[in-house]
Amino acid sequence: MTGWQPAAADVRALPLDDERDRAVEELFAQHRQPLTRLAVLLGADDAEDVVSEAFYDLYRRWRRLRSPDAAAAYLRSVVVNRTRMRLRHLQVVRRHLQRRTEDAPARSSEAMALLRDDQRAVVTALARLPDRQREALVLRYWLELRESEIAGAMGISAGAVKTHVSRGMAALSRAMEERR
Amino acid sequence: MNESSTDDRLRDALQALASGVPQKEQASADPRADYRAASSGWRRRERRRRLILAALVGLVLVLADIVGLWALNRTDPDSHVIFSDPQPSVVAPQLQPTPEPLVRAGQP
Repeated sequence: MTGWQPAAADVRALPLDDERDRAVEELFAQHRQPLTRLAVLLGADDAEDVVSEAFYDLYRRWRRLRSPDAAAAYLRSVVVNRTRMRLRHLQVVRRHLQRRTEDAPARSSEAMALLRDDQRAVVTALARLPDRQREALVLRYWLELRESEIAGAMGISAGAVKTHVSRGMAALSRAMEERR
Repeated sequence: MNESSTDDRLRDALQALASGVPQKEQASADPRADYRAASSGWRRRERRRRLILAALVGLVLVLADIVGLWALNRTDPDSHVIFSDPQPSVVAPQLQPTPEPLVRAGQP
């Protein structure tokens, strides 16, 4: 006996788990930082947790993925949805505590401190937009995604993406003009 | 303010905000160590999730067994569930009544 020998079931499970581990590790190294930034831009106050949860979801549902190529889009979608859920939860908590604040999403104050005045004004106006409009604008203007990709990440139709982007841009333009 | 100017300002602001994400929120120097730490947490959560799921399934089965046994126990052993026809009553076999002898008056 040379030591521990895996059971037959373990031997069958090993290659798939190895493949999953390798793929998720690669995705983790490649996408963790951009996804953390995406969560911050969407207004998450705990971007690290949101991204960590997204990778856990991917790890758990690896076998249900259409293909390994779909993993990046899946991660993006989970981050967008989890950030939206987190922000809504925070809004409910704040409403419950009767502590209304002007800026609904809690942004990283360190990141905000580095911005110029005009950039801060744009980010503040962005934070005041409805969730869907903010998400569409960030995915469109920061990640430079196509409409179909944005639709996939947000779980809505391409037509709805167009609507959110145009309404969001109109609201931002109005906010910028009022600031002048 | 025209649309393209707002586009540019939005791109610029988002880029500045993204690049200003604090170092502690970004990946550390050794991504493999980060991954190992994160994946060990995922495995622990996955084990706990499966354990809780197995416990719940076991609990449901046990409850179903208990309910079934209780239902069987409280039924009347004489009532039948499958055959609901009225049972034929057991009666003692009766002798055929003997016909009355014919009265043939005047006959031999």
